[in-house]
Amino acid sequence: MAERLYINADEARITYRGFAHVDLEMFDGRKFEDLEPRRLFPLSGLTKYITLLDHDMKEVALIRDLAAILPESRQAIEKCLDEYYMIPKITEIIDRKEKNGLLKYTVMTNYGERSFDIRNRHSDIKNLYDGRVLFRDSDDNRYEIPDITKLDRKSWLKINIDL
Amino acid sequence: MEETKPLINKAMPDDARGWVDHQLCDGEKLLFAVVGDLSLFEKYDTATLLVTSRRTVVVDKNHDNGLFSAAFSDIESVTVKRMYGNARMNFKLKDGTEKTVFRYTYAVADLCDVAAAFIEAVGKGENVDEQMEIVGAAYEKKMRVCPKCGRTLLRPGAECIKCQSKGKIVSKLLKYVKPQFPLLLTALLMSVASTALALLPPSLTQRLVDRVLPNTGTPLDQRMHSLLVIVLILLCSYVAGSLLNGFRGYMLRIAGDRIVRYLRNDVYEKAQHLPMKFYDKTSTGSVINRISGDTNTLQAFMLRISQEIVVQAFLLVGIIIIMFIKDWKLSLLALCPVPIVVLGAKYFSRKIAPFYRRIWKRWAAVSSVLTDTIPCVRVVKSFAGEQRATEKFKKYNDEWYKVDTSSAKITNAFPAAVNFIVVCGSLLIWGVGGSWTIKESGGLTPGLLVAFLSYVSMFYGPVNFFAYLSDSYQGALASAERVLDILDAEPEPDFGKGNCPDKIEGKIEFRNVNFSFDRAKKTLSDINLTIEPGDIVGIVGTTGSGKSTMINLLMRFYDNYEGEILLDGTNIKDIDMTYYRSKIGYVQQEPMMFSDTIFNNIAYGVPDAHVEQVINAADIANAHDFIILQPDGYDSMLGERGVGLSGGERQRISIARAVLKNPSILVFDEATASVDSETENQIQEAIERLISGRTTLMIAHRLSTLRKANKIVVVDKGRIIECGTHDELMALKGKFYRLIQIQSMSEQVSKQKAEENFE
Repeated sequence: MAERLYINADEARITYRGFAHVDLEMFDGRKFEDLEPRRLFPLSGLTKYITLLDHDMKEVALIRDLAAILPESRQAIEKCLDEYYMIPKITEIIDRKEKNGLLKYTVMTNYGERSFDIRNRHSDIKNLYDGRVLFRDSDDNRYEIPDITKLDRKSWLKINIDL
Repeated sequence: MEETKPLINKAMPDDARGWVDHQLCDGEKLLFAVVGDLSLFEKYDTATLLVTSRRTVVVDKNHDNGLFSAAFSDIESVTVKRMYGNARMNFKLKDGTEKTVFRYTYAVADLCDVAAAFIEAVGKGENVDEQMEIVGAAYEKKMRVCPKCGRTLLRPGAECIKCQSKGKIVSKLLKYVKPQFPLLLTALLMSVASTALALLPPSLTQRLVDRVLPNTGTPLDQRMHSLLVIVLILLCSYVAGSLLNGFRGYMLRIAGDRIVRYLRNDVYEKAQHLPMKFYDKTSTGSVINRISGDTNTLQAFMLRISQEIVVQAFLLVGIIIIMFIKDWKLSLLALCPVPIVVLGAKYFSRKIAPFYRRIWKRWAAVSSVLTDTIPCVRVVKSFAGEQRATEKFKKYNDEWYKVDTSSAKITNAFPAAVNFIVVCGSLLIWGVGGSWTIKESGGLTPGLLVAFLSYVSMFYGPVNFFAYLSDSYQGALASAERVLDILDAEPEPDFGKGNCPDKIEGKIEFRNVNFSFDRAKKTLSDINLTIEPGDIVGIVGTTGSGKSTMINLLMRFYDNYEGEILLDGTNIKDIDMTYYRSKIGYVQQEPMMFSDTIFNNIAYGVPDAHVEQVINAADIANAHDFIILQPDGYDSMLGERGVGLSGGERQRISIARAVLKNPSILVFDEATASVDSETENQIQEAIERLISGRTTLMIAHRLSTLRKANKIVVVDKGRIIECGTHDELMALKGKFYRLIQIQSMSEQVSKQKAEENFE
């Protein structure tokens, strides 16, 4: 098994290539093109362990921590991750209705207003311990409240019923 | 081509409608449209993919002039890239340009998949009508979802099981109460009688205090006689009340036990018939919790609503009437605190509801740790995980404790407040009624005051009951929701019920099968495979390639795939499911043993099997020899996961189980993956005896176990990439060849290492 190529700090330059893809140049001269960054822990570790995959979906390198790499490289990766992972951040709960055992939410997100259905409040709304709340709608789309304590009181009262 | 209405998933936005109305060329017609929900750049917005008889058009504000258009003849290829929560459709044009033309969320991802396939196929000159059939099927499938709840319907236009039956929870649960109606009615009449008896003592007390105890000039003998009569009547009423309450309690217990028995049976039965995808998303701990805990909560609640509500209402009305007859002014005073209690109850019920849900959620998490770790205690110990398991349990238990204690504040604060209000009401009666008695105004006697106070204390009983009813109602509502989640869940569809072909030859065909667990990633793509009766087919591939998923579909653990799987020319979805599964012998990598004897474990699929059939099956499976060495032989009890037997022994028992079923088709899912070489040989020997004359599918990690296979299928990334005999695939020098080489190299290394260690 080939040794895994870790990117720990400033030993690599990563540049944005195009939609959700980057190029990687190690400071020892090795170059890799058209890599797709993906999170190894999309729920629990947003900025740690970002894998870079080639066209065949094989791992080329693994970034241990985004915070530790060069700022330009970090920006390139973050742009790609933002393009790949669409997890709208909910800023306000506009409406919550319960009908026929189904929760109907209308929310304001950083992508705009959205209405979606939650089939099962027990499995589709996850209350993480750091104040993050994750939703999965009936179509398998994801949404996130980054910090529930920062929601306005009206929104909090609406969501509180389901937490 | 027939004149048909274009297929559209929802109302077309104005910009797209405008294009269709004014920009279609002569003879060009709209075939289908996908109204998406995301713009090319970041925001939620409407964008529309229009596919006409000549070209593809995307109406999205972010395209130049808000439009992208490409004729089929200009398109080289169309690809769909599914990402996380969103996907994009890319066009590669014949002039070499590549472009992302349409971006959307998973809400329309299925439709976009078929749209991409359609555009590419028609661009390559395929028949439009044939391709439209596939598109039509995808639209029909999309319309097979309940518009209210999004659940898949049994057929297009069918009523949704969930929405149709999810009327009022109480009326639904009444189904379980109705059979107990005679018992409950008797108990109810007894309750009413005992309640009526309970209303008697205060009136008698009034007579005692006003007429018998004070010296009002009545002769002593007569007063003593009256005292005796009243005391006797009181005694009789208490005795009768106690007897009635005793019998009533007994009857309620019987009725309650019956209710919970039937409810539990139904929930358990339903849980057995739920599709695997339900268990993929719901932990077994939470299902167990619903069957054991929630049904109990519901039983208590159903008894409460069928009995106590009537009794308490009767008591409440009775007391109010008596109080008003006795003294209407004091009665009005007594009613003063009632609005506060009722409004408080309403407020309280709103506050308490989330707590019940949270408590249950935390408790389900605690249960999940239990069900995960206790049955797997060997694994926990072997990885020295006791401390970690304990800490995890503590963490979840602490979470439960925190939520439970925080709810304790509100659940106790309210009753205390109600009690205080009730006490205030009594003090008001004492104060006002006492002053009227002292002043001898309004005809209020000491006896009447004492009797009135007794009625007031009784009056707050039902008031309290109705105030607390919301509390138990909320608890029961949360339980009912979870129980109904199982009862109302769609069972495994069995469209072919009753269709049991006389004979199964064993020809299996996978036709254009596509499958995805979560829509995010296709697990199987374009699976086409024909297996003739009696074929021995080896399925190989790396971990996660989709081998087991193919078997899962064949076993009908998942039915929501595209394409068809046929058995002897009949779609497996059209065959009676129980019959179908009874014709397949399935041996898993990790055989599950039930907490029962070895005999019953082997006879699990054929409970009425003759003893000799079971022994014969064990013999064929090379299991008989070790079973007879067990002190209790075939009567040896096995634990939940076959405690006391080695992995190879458990595997041989599971093979014996399959032998006994005498199936037409055999499926081995890495049956020898976790056993040593010697055991593997024994199992292999058993398998070879078993498979003769039956269609056999074998998933194998060790390619050496496929030496008997006359066809080998190589699966990679959900696709069949090679298919042929061993020799054909070796000559091909493809994936199979490489796998063989890698495996023989690693076997050589292991052998060398073993020899070195031996030396």
